[in-house]
Amino acid sequence: MSDNGDGGNDAGADVKADSEADPDTASKLAIREPPVVLVPVQVLEGETLSDALVSFLAPARVVVLGYHVLPEQTPTEQASMQFEDRAKAAVDDIAAAFADAGGAPETRVVFTHDRDQTLERVAAEVGSTAILLPNPTGAVSTVLVPIRGAGDDDRLADLVATLADEAHERVTLWGLTNGPGGFDAEAAVVDAADRLRERGVTDAQLTTETKTTETPLRDIVERSADADVVVMGEGDESILDVLFGDDAERVAEGAVAPVLVVRNRKPEPGDPAVEPGG
Amino acid sequence: MTAAEGEPPDAGENRAGEAPTTVSPPTAAEETTTTDAGTELERTIGLSGGISIGVGTMIGAGIFVFPGLAAGRAGPAAAGSFAIGAVIALLVALPTSELATAMPKSGGGYYFISRGLGALPGAIVGISIWLGLVFATAFYLVGFGSYVAAVLAEAGVAVGSIPVVIPLGLLTGAFLTALNLFGTERAAAVQSYVVGLLLTILVFFLGFGGLDALGVFGSASTPERFAPFGAMPVFTTAALVFTSYLGFAQVATVAGDIKDPGRNLPLAMVASVVIVGILYVTTIFVATSAFGSAALSSFGETAIVEVARNFVGTTGAIAILIAGLLATLSSANASILSTSRAVFAVSKDAILPASAARMNLTYGTPHVALAMAGGPVLVLVATGQVEVLAEVASFLHLVMYGLMCVALIALRRNEPEWYDPAFRVPAHRVVAGVGAVASAGLILFMQPTSQIIGAVIMIASAGWYNYYASDVQLKGVL
Repeated sequence: MSDNGDGGNDAGADVKADSEADPDTASKLAIREPPVVLVPVQVLEGETLSDALVSFLAPARVVVLGYHVLPEQTPTEQASMQFEDRAKAAVDDIAAAFADAGGAPETRVVFTHDRDQTLERVAAEVGSTAILLPNPTGAVSTVLVPIRGAGDDDRLADLVATLADEAHERVTLWGLTNGPGGFDAEAAVVDAADRLRERGVTDAQLTTETKTTETPLRDIVERSADADVVVMGEGDESILDVLFGDDAERVAEGAVAPVLVVRNRKPEPGDPAVEPGG
Repeated sequence: MTAAEGEPPDAGENRAGEAPTTVSPPTAAEETTTTDAGTELERTIGLSGGISIGVGTMIGAGIFVFPGLAAGRAGPAAAGSFAIGAVIALLVALPTSELATAMPKSGGGYYFISRGLGALPGAIVGISIWLGLVFATAFYLVGFGSYVAAVLAEAGVAVGSIPVVIPLGLLTGAFLTALNLFGTERAAAVQSYVVGLLLTILVFFLGFGGLDALGVFGSASTPERFAPFGAMPVFTTAALVFTSYLGFAQVATVAGDIKDPGRNLPLAMVASVVIVGILYVTTIFVATSAFGSAALSSFGETAIVEVARNFVGTTGAIAILIAGLLATLSSANASILSTSRAVFAVSKDAILPASAARMNLTYGTPHVALAMAGGPVLVLVATGQVEVLAEVASFLHLVMYGLMCVALIALRRNEPEWYDPAFRVPAHRVVAGVGAVASAGLILFMQPTSQIIGAVIMIASAGWYNYYASDVQLKGVL
């Protein structure tokens, strides 16, 4: 299992290492790291994905993770005995929807006591570059990309460029900063737009905006009402994350739209491209 | 029943036509177990979680219920009784660790015995351990009732001559069962904090008391004769207080949920026995240094509160009262959870009807098994017989411990292909042999009433197996 994950990460890291070594060659590549989107669905809670979201995600490699969280007093074995078939059927239904939309999804079914541990483990095993935090959505025509600080810009660009289809989806790059001297939102948005153009996103699809705000998360949540999907970076760990869950989860809870969280590359031993400061 | 599909034909069926269900082969994978159908079962309990289950289950009895009773029987030598208990528990914990790393599955002792020795011993242990845990839970609840009564007395609430202990135990039992039925979010996390708080209070209290008893503050207390009642009561008391050590095997009942079971299971079991063993022996030493054993005995179940008052005044008494409430409550709750897991393990193997393992999706809890835990507990609490409850619980557990040791020797003598434990007991014949003999020996020192009740339960379990599931074969069925 973990071998797969390592393989995926290594492949991605190699590509990134190349791009750093030789930006000119790298810029000619359309997609550097084919995105892998982990789609966790609480199947036994009746959670499902809208057809619109399925067809939006289908161009990426999708891993459908059907999971069920049990209270600690219930052995996972007991739940799987009784509900495994039902969970598998529900996940297969979702997988079939992806197949109909032209995808070839991988499926996993997990019974767990700890959602975060399971998501983190499976994401690492399948080498996922983004995780979907589901919310209801209609047909996807606008993708909101809030940019608030350093994230994995290449992964994010790969994901958006893969998913945003020229005919259907428009992309809004939205830089948020807390004022002069803080994060340079203007430059970040221009940089992100460049990265998307390199990957074949047309100018007609792109809108760039910036905003100065003290409450970026609240602004993103409010703005999400106008978007069909939000794509954002994982953000840096802060003490608030421990108390309130990480930024993306807080956005997903408040937001009207589904949120795709781009995972930061996790440092792995012997992987120079992702060494801290590298 | 769908449960019967795809089973090995030799596993047999019970009267209702149900066959044992194999959910997943036991593996020692670090983070997940994978079922035959490819579903992953996440392992979520780490080493500290395992230790807190073990310590949390055990600590309630030894410190907060037994000191008065034990000192009354054996005098200061009661410390020796606790030490004997700890040694026997360790002798059993090592073989249990080996078996658990070879078969890290929910069900613990029952699973090892049914796979190692066969369905009949398995059924006897499985059903007995369900009832054994019911007795243990009832015992903890009566202990909890005593603490609430002591708190009321401390607060000056006059209850007059109304006996409050048993009604309080009943209410609490019903409350805990309901709590578990409707799902307790983060119960394990709460349990860890409770155990941490308890250990802190105890280490302060025992540290202070221990130094005092040794004469660091003021003069050394004059100890009475170590064993005023002779050697025999030391052993009978060991049999009584062995209930204080029942919790380590509860770690094995959650084996299916423990991360990296090859490492964490043995460590958690041995560490929890060592931790509580040291605390128990120190407690008795401190308690008998503070008071004579006759005085301790007269304080009854809450004797330790008087000991704390003696050292640190009312503050100490209140701290220990709070600790006692937490400890007995956490032991009772942990035992109810283990009971429901024990019922599940037996019912999965078709020795009890499969409906006993049903869970409901709304709350995600095994409601039938929890009811089978909570219901009988209330009946037993109503009897209020602390010593008998404790001894029957110990009796039934000791039978399981003895048979686990036998199962280890049997498996090692002729190792099946699947038997590949990550941890192997050194000199296993000696350790498991002495463990089995000591477990059996301890039973002989119990009161006749407890022995009779225990034996009747075992015979009834065997009878049930013959009636309901005599065709079920479990030896070597993984």
